[in-house]
Amino acid sequence: MKKHYHRILLAIFGLLPLLMMAQNAEKNSLSLTLKYFNNNNQTQYLVVQAKSKIDGKFQQIPNIPISFYIASETVKENLLGKAITNEKGEASLLIPPTAKAAWIKTINPNFIVVSEATKKFDEGRGDVTITKAKIKIDTADGRVINATVMAMKDSIWVPVKGVDLSIAVKRMGGNLNVNETQTFTTDSLGAVTAEFKRDSLPGDATTGKLTLIATVTDNETYGNLTAEIPAVWGNKCNYNAEFDRRTLFARRGHSPIWLELMAYGIILAVWGVLLYLIIQLRKIIKLGA
Amino acid sequence: MEQLAKQKIIQDLLPQKFGKQGKIWVAGLIVLCIIGVVAYIRQLSKGLVVTGMRDYVSWGIYISNFVFFVAISLVGSLITAVLRLTNVHWSTPLTRIAEIIAVSAITFASLIIIVDMGRPERFYNLFLHGRLQSPIIWDVIVITTYFFISILLLYFPLLPDLKIMLEVKKGFSKGMLKFYSYLGSFWKHTPGQIKLSEKAIGILAVTIIPVAFSIHTVTSWLFATTYRPGWDSTNFGAYFISGAFLVGAGGVVVAMYVFRSHYNLKEYITYDHFDKMGKVLVMLALLYLYFNVNEFLVPAFKMKKPEEEHLRGLFTGEFAPIFWFAITTSMLVPILILITKKGRRPFPAFIAGVLVVIGSWFKRYIIVTPTLLHPFLPMQDVPANYKHYFPTWEEWAIAIGSLAGALLVITIFARIFPIIPIQETITEKEEHEKALS
Repeated sequence: MKKHYHRILLAIFGLLPLLMMAQNAEKNSLSLTLKYFNNNNQTQYLVVQAKSKIDGKFQQIPNIPISFYIASETVKENLLGKAITNEKGEASLLIPPTAKAAWIKTINPNFIVVSEATKKFDEGRGDVTITKAKIKIDTADGRVINATVMAMKDSIWVPVKGVDLSIAVKRMGGNLNVNETQTFTTDSLGAVTAEFKRDSLPGDATTGKLTLIATVTDNETYGNLTAEIPAVWGNKCNYNAEFDRRTLFARRGHSPIWLELMAYGIILAVWGVLLYLIIQLRKIIKLGA
Repeated sequence: MEQLAKQKIIQDLLPQKFGKQGKIWVAGLIVLCIIGVVAYIRQLSKGLVVTGMRDYVSWGIYISNFVFFVAISLVGSLITAVLRLTNVHWSTPLTRIAEIIAVSAITFASLIIIVDMGRPERFYNLFLHGRLQSPIIWDVIVITTYFFISILLLYFPLLPDLKIMLEVKKGFSKGMLKFYSYLGSFWKHTPGQIKLSEKAIGILAVTIIPVAFSIHTVTSWLFATTYRPGWDSTNFGAYFISGAFLVGAGGVVVAMYVFRSHYNLKEYITYDHFDKMGKVLVMLALLYLYFNVNEFLVPAFKMKKPEEEHLRGLFTGEFAPIFWFAITTSMLVPILILITKKGRRPFPAFIAGVLVVIGSWFKRYIIVTPTLLHPFLPMQDVPANYKHYFPTWEEWAIAIGSLAGALLVITIFARIFPIIPIQETITEKEEHEKALS
């Protein structure tokens, strides 16, 4: 019996590498997270992120072909379009005009993303259902911003209570909150009021125009919404472009005049001497002819 | 009698055919060059990934080699120009040796820069789209200029010797005589030609000094204008030039010994030449040592954090063996050898010269690489091999191949042309005898 016991153990250990290899050969499962965006009540689009757990860590997966559907992935006509994930594992798709009929048909559209199985990954699926919503933004005297979140109910827009949104001014590289409050919550009229407290922000050159933006981020019911409005509450700002200035760090052809004079002066002087010497050499050749 | 002496000088100094040793030497150099070319073809086809250079060390032994070549090329201006203008006549037999070292070194300095490029076929863009503000452009301009001046400085004094070789004829093949004729058949040694030639050499001797200083100052600025520990110095121009004169003079002493022994030139390259060049070497080694003390003592006294890491790496860390080897062999030991009269005899001087050249090559490596491995920002989230640098066999083969190529150019030049100026030696001897009588 003891002999058999050893054989069984040997067989198990012998099979272990094979089992491990078999495990390694298994495909990884793919997780697709879908988000809906409505930018400034004009552009509606979808963004999907592909992730997979590899070596115990979630990693973004590029080069995954994704198909986007509305309502159901089983009906071919519901296909909105296809995209491939980028190096961040993201793919996006503008909701095309061809989906107008399906879009109008419901106030709670359901979007679905599907990826077919690849050599490394299993097939993936993700979906999101939203309620159609938008933000209305306006300004009032005294540098006040009014924003209202509206959702569609029975074919009409109604204000929504209890939605978190931020109100900010657009800056290069990000949004700056208009005052110390990070997030506002809509009242029973679906509205929030924010006072603009940012003094001396540089705006455009002629009027000091700034762009105000209200944002709902990752709301479970409404997705991601933004609305923008211009306001002349900034300082007129003339940007001094350094691009054409003659500096040591400028681009080619824009070196400082003093450097050009010095460099070309030296080059001409030295090569002038060399040219003179070549002339002397020609004289020597002539004397010997 | 005078005619006999002249004939003897001519016979002694005419280029000689390679003996057995010479042929083995040339074959060895050709093999090294071919290995270098094979390695370069591999680099061209696979890209710079075959080298040990990565994101941090982007200048490895190729650029060390480049700085070394530029440095050694400066000897042309030291021996030919500085000593000529100061009326030092003992250097006459050494001028051509110095000039061919300069031409050969500057040629390979240019080539090694192209080797360092990932996409050499785009080299022309440097001329089409170069920024005048960039020290790299200054380097390209000044290297090209120095190359032309060195070629002219080699060519003008060669003209009278070409005439002598065309007159002698014996011992030269038809092809060689045709080549000499192409280069200098117009030289009739008339007073008018001599006057013009001497004037041209005088102008070249004056012109080459600022250009030579510029070439190595600009090379030093490639480093000094980059804000990095070890390079952030206002002293770099002078530091580089003093080091360049040292390695150049070391190279000339080595060449003097080799040509003297193999071409039987003991009457022309005498003990006195080794004695004087030995003294020059000691002076230059002390000067370079002084600049080294400056370069390391001042930052070590302040010990700013990034400098500290760099200096500790050099003095006691990863690079300490190479650093102390370079300092010892390029300066300390040669000074100890050459400071005594016995040490300035040909063989000890030759050993000192070899040490200077080898130590100076490693000194350039020490200037280039450790700084690149000590950036201001910590190296994070990078593969382990990015944090160290060791050249691959391809880099060694290319670097050694380029050094062999430079030696091959000098060797072939000495086979075709007189390595000691014949006419100048005759003229000086005649003037010396006139003065005595």
